[in-house]
Amino acid sequence: MKILAKIWGFLKRVVERVLVAFWRIAAPIKTPEPGYSTSLPDNLQMHMNLVMPLADRTAVGQARAVQAVAANIDELFTGLSNVGTVHFARFDLINGNLCMFSVFDGDFRAYIRDFIMVFGSVFDSLLGLVEDPPPSPCTKHPEAFIDWIHRHDSFQIPRDLTSLFPEEKNIKNLSRDLVLLLDQNPHVQIGRYSGYPGVSVAQIRDKTGLGW
Amino acid sequence: MSSDLDFADIQGNILRGYGKDYVRHLVLSVDKSAAARRWLFDATSGDDSITPQITTGAPWNGDKPSTCVNVGITHAGLAALGVPAASLDSFPHEFVAGMAARNKLIGDTGPSDPSSWKAEWRHVERVHLVISVHGDKPEYCASVADRILAAGRAFRVLAALDGAGFEGGKVHFGYRDSISQPQFHGVHGPDTRRDDQPYAELGAMLLGHRTPIENLYWEVPVPNVLGKNGSFNAFRVLEQQVEEFEEFLTSCADELLAKPVGEELLPPGIEKEWDPPMTRREAMREMVAAKMLGRWRNGVPLELSPNTPSPKPRIGDKGLNDFGYSHDPDGQRCPIGSHLRRSNPRDAKTVQRSTNHARRIIRRGIPYGPQYNPKKPVKAERGLLGSFMCASLTGQFEALLYDWTNLGLQDPRITGSNDPILGNNDPLFSRMSFPVGDDVVTFRGFPHFVHTRGGAYLFQPSISAIRHLASLSGGKDGGS
Repeated sequence: MKILAKIWGFLKRVVERVLVAFWRIAAPIKTPEPGYSTSLPDNLQMHMNLVMPLADRTAVGQARAVQAVAANIDELFTGLSNVGTVHFARFDLINGNLCMFSVFDGDFRAYIRDFIMVFGSVFDSLLGLVEDPPPSPCTKHPEAFIDWIHRHDSFQIPRDLTSLFPEEKNIKNLSRDLVLLLDQNPHVQIGRYSGYPGVSVAQIRDKTGLGW
Repeated sequence: MSSDLDFADIQGNILRGYGKDYVRHLVLSVDKSAAARRWLFDATSGDDSITPQITTGAPWNGDKPSTCVNVGITHAGLAALGVPAASLDSFPHEFVAGMAARNKLIGDTGPSDPSSWKAEWRHVERVHLVISVHGDKPEYCASVADRILAAGRAFRVLAALDGAGFEGGKVHFGYRDSISQPQFHGVHGPDTRRDDQPYAELGAMLLGHRTPIENLYWEVPVPNVLGKNGSFNAFRVLEQQVEEFEEFLTSCADELLAKPVGEELLPPGIEKEWDPPMTRREAMREMVAAKMLGRWRNGVPLELSPNTPSPKPRIGDKGLNDFGYSHDPDGQRCPIGSHLRRSNPRDAKTVQRSTNHARRIIRRGIPYGPQYNPKKPVKAERGLLGSFMCASLTGQFEALLYDWTNLGLQDPRITGSNDPILGNNDPLFSRMSFPVGDDVVTFRGFPHFVHTRGGAYLFQPSISAIRHLASLSGGKDGGS
């Protein structure tokens, strides 16, 4: 029975792969661009989940990435502090990917632009370790850098899955569309929670006496 | 002027204002690409007898012309003129998308939503050029505009928008406008300097130059001859709800006069010392208007004169811009949420510490529609034809409107509130608070006083770039 189940599982995966390959051609989708909202909570505590594959994913390559971040950590933290709109940021190494996860206030592009201003040179050196890096230095190619960061920022799936594909007229196709979306975007953020929605980092720092 | 910049190569309205009282903006669609390119060639030929010439930044040396002409081109317009795809793709994405597509980011929602814009702006793919004719008299503008349109029948007119300045440089809502503009390295010398704000770098306005942000250069669209020395212009038709604004001033004034804080804000009897003297109600209306903007309606800044629009000694024109906010951290004199302080925080502390001087833009505007007379109110559309120029629409114009005008991200004490005059306000949620001594005054329930009725993101190419465009082939009707 176990063997039969294994064979069935294998066949199922093969069929799924074939089906996805077929859907890619027969019913292609376009990854939706994030929209803007005028609602205050939708403009504060934004998330960026940057997943950057390392050029060298071996243990040696990963050790180089750890050393590079460690060597620049003070400058990175001072820079993040000077950006002024950052709640949290952390640097992780996950499965050969250098990751930066952060929560910030305001517009994504403005955040990355501020980022370039305050520690662009540090990022240039870190991006020397990743696969297919953006043009360097980022101060000379700010828009290309921002576009590159946007491409490596995990897609954020909204609470209402149907809002992902407003053009889709047949609700039965939504599952297929979701599969194709994940086929294009292997890294996604599925949900987020905030214990204090609609509050900026400067407001928290102001109220807690940390200074902003 | 002393700079490496060739002033004759840039359009003349970017680094200096013309000070003309009249304008006609022609909103155009390219009908015949070859004829349109021919017009661009003729308009930069130096021969005014063929067609009116595009005004450059070259010094006038005392010989100021009676009319000036400038041209801005949309992304669709560049395509219609025959700019190849690789070059079109090298323009910044927000310019490619266009103003209407960026509406939520810049607060054009509700009554300002692009679906409510005037007909000429609603089909963005048809808006190709805006040619602006500035003149000393309205008939000069009309005559020059007619000559442009007669040239080769290159364009289809979607609209001709006329603006006329009011006495004393005032605009609707009664404020004196255009007092503060950036001063540029190599352009403005110490003799013309009016404040201690840092000189702006040319790259804040012109592509291919050093920007106010250390080591940062905005990317220049390719080829270099097309992009370099160009500038972007957010052209906007902004309808102003003057009657609602005046009514709001009255309701706030009446509310304040009924409270003890009103006496602290406007000490009794002070209004009699103003020039001209006013009734208490009139004076409180002016105080409310000043707190909302950050200047009295005659242009005197609250920061220099918080209690009277007519300080003694008088503040002359040169002094109207000579102030900062570092000595007023809580906004006792000029509210942190006022339009002026939001739009340009000068030396005030801001959350985004590196942005204080990095988002400055050039503002050029002229009113349209009849001036409002409270004694004989006439219902009419009135507003401002505004050009907001910068080198990066997303880094300056959009960041200003998104972060500061409509989100108040620069200071935790105003985060979540919008600019009281220009902001995307909803009466259910709108609020503006400012301290008066130990008390706090809050205005609530104000609407969206300014409705966007149309607009486009324009590229203002250099003169070399215009000649390059004239040399292309293809476009809407092909040909060369």
